[in-house]
Amino acid sequence: MSRIAEATLANGRKIPYVITDNPPRGGMKYTYFAPDKSYVVQFYNEPDKVDKNMTARLEAIIGRYNPTIPESEGGAVGTDKKLAEYFAGRFCWPTDLVIAPEFGIVSPAYPKNFFFEASASKFLDLKGKDKKSNWFTSGNRKFLDHSELGDFRSMLQMSLLLSRSIRRLHQAGLAHSDLSNNNVLIDPKSGNCVVIDIDSLVVPGLFPPEVAGTRGYIAPEVLATMELDRNDPRRMIPSSVTDLHALAVLIYEYLFCRHPLMGPKIFSAESAEQDDFLGLGPMALFIEDPNDTSNRPASLKATIKDLGPILEGLFIRAFVDGLHEPSLRPSAMEWERGLVKTWDLLHRCSNPECEKKWFVLYDVEHPVCPFCGTRITDSNIVRFELNSEVRGHPGEWKKYSELDVVNNTPLFKWHMQSNIFADEKADTELQAYVCCHNGEWFLINKHSTGLLSPNGNPVPAGQAIRLYDGTIFRASRSERGMLIKVRII
Amino acid sequence: MSEFSRRLPVYLLLDISGSMAGDPIEAVRNGVRALISELRGDPQALETAYLSVITFNSGARQVVPLTELMMFREPQLNAGGATALGSALRLLTECIKAEVRKSTPTQKGDWKPLVFILTDGAPTDEWRQAAEELKQTHPANIIACAAGAYADTKVLREITECVLMMNNLSAGDLSQFFAWVSSSVKMSSKSLDAKPGANIELPPPPQGFVIVP
Repeated sequence: MSRIAEATLANGRKIPYVITDNPPRGGMKYTYFAPDKSYVVQFYNEPDKVDKNMTARLEAIIGRYNPTIPESEGGAVGTDKKLAEYFAGRFCWPTDLVIAPEFGIVSPAYPKNFFFEASASKFLDLKGKDKKSNWFTSGNRKFLDHSELGDFRSMLQMSLLLSRSIRRLHQAGLAHSDLSNNNVLIDPKSGNCVVIDIDSLVVPGLFPPEVAGTRGYIAPEVLATMELDRNDPRRMIPSSVTDLHALAVLIYEYLFCRHPLMGPKIFSAESAEQDDFLGLGPMALFIEDPNDTSNRPASLKATIKDLGPILEGLFIRAFVDGLHEPSLRPSAMEWERGLVKTWDLLHRCSNPECEKKWFVLYDVEHPVCPFCGTRITDSNIVRFELNSEVRGHPGEWKKYSELDVVNNTPLFKWHMQSNIFADEKADTELQAYVCCHNGEWFLINKHSTGLLSPNGNPVPAGQAIRLYDGTIFRASRSERGMLIKVRII
Repeated sequence: MSEFSRRLPVYLLLDISGSMAGDPIEAVRNGVRALISELRGDPQALETAYLSVITFNSGARQVVPLTELMMFREPQLNAGGATALGSALRLLTECIKAEVRKSTPTQKGDWKPLVFILTDGAPTDEWRQAAEELKQTHPANIIACAAGAYADTKVLREITECVLMMNNLSAGDLSQFFAWVSSSVKMSSKSLDAKPGANIELPPPPQGFVIVP
């Protein structure tokens, strides 16, 4: 049984929604859909808890902190149309406040690809269910059709997109405060993710929301001090550093399909609740802790070492150094940059049956897929070592990153200049690409205006540089242009 | 989550006495069906929740042992007989003892069981001692629902602090009850409000239901 009702927005506009029996209900809100499903209207489980602190917070979120509408239309400072469009795809950001029949919010519906189609599972009726990440990162994977699962590359891409979204929040001083498998929907098939439940954001200077958090994603210090009074200074409440714990947990889950803290160690024999509290709270221990292996599962196939030194280092900081020391956790921007650099080292596994299809080829002397154990069969491994000039020391170059190169590998501006980052603002026009022809390697200039040959001559668009082992050339004449060293192994 | 995750045992104690015959029992069947389908659609519940059904009329019977959701087979429910709530509680104690893994120094124990009791009448057997024994030996989070005008909320209130009352035994109310059970199970399988020793947090009861103080 359903009927159409009308919600009055804060700006006086009226919009229709469909009232259904037993609407989907979360910890905080319940949801009704628009007649055409293009938006949702959500009301709070406990309407009497809605107060002026909460409405002030929501007004700020919908308006001056909103990265999904241009500044010119009341959105966040510095947001142009293109950026607003980008982030509108990354967040399900609330658009309006509802003032009648009771207080609530309006949000866009999730994009279609975050809902399962009927073909997603032979065993379960998942049609129309949203793609919460633990469908894909837990034992539930076995119920899904193979085509839903994505591969290591798409999981890495989602990790990168999520880091960027969280970096954008933190950059504005916002914190999500309840980042979890439920509040990030993922679509491994296309490598996309979207952050939802934005209404619990912590907004600078405004009274924070009361958020319970989600088991497995709450930062250990928050869980450990949960019992204390809300005004006790020792009580830790959700903030951007607790987001950084949840972010690292999500990335670890995407990349390994397991939880970083849930291992075999028994923390208390008293009760499951006590064991869980200690193991995720005050005594939490990374399953891959290099100094304490008491929580390490007996069989760990791929480990953080297999992700290369950049991500390994970030995970050590998140789950060893920073697990109980929030200030040591890597920032979302460090994750974003580290994941971009790691993306450049992805190599296709030579085993056509490999479930993960891609891996991080950081050790060219030992080119083996950590997921299936196959040694790669490519005739050459080709690497570009990207070096940037040390500031204030002309002629002194330092390794900046590496790029694993195969036929058709594209080069973008961020590969040519060290002052350009692969973020949401980056120019994604192809600058040059690598071509392998009859076993000979070339870099073909497509759009770059500053590419130089090994002996320093301009290489105009349409022309190529022949690449040998040991070739060195300037990718860009500009001040921060990279010096590229070629290795062919 | 992995082999190191623990299970959330969920026991449904369903009254199938004579007064449930007809539409009510049909609504209960539909409710159980909807509950399973709803929980199978929630990844966390699917991973953690295990479900058992105990029915009671003139006696009590575990019609489905504690089973993972994917393996759950719908039980045959037929109404008739008295309301042996005491027997049901005694059987529940035995089942928990046999099926729920204890926390030990070498084993990750299961979560505290979640028990939903649905009854539309007053018990016809000795229940007080059975309830006491259950509480003493196997602590569980028990939620009782008194369905319709003839259910004895006082009795239920002695079994657990958490008693809901629905005013009539209509199909709509029963279906709402099962939807609420499903939200409760989903919420318990993900929320961490279940701090050691604290009460679990449940979603607000459906419209028309009252919490018996």
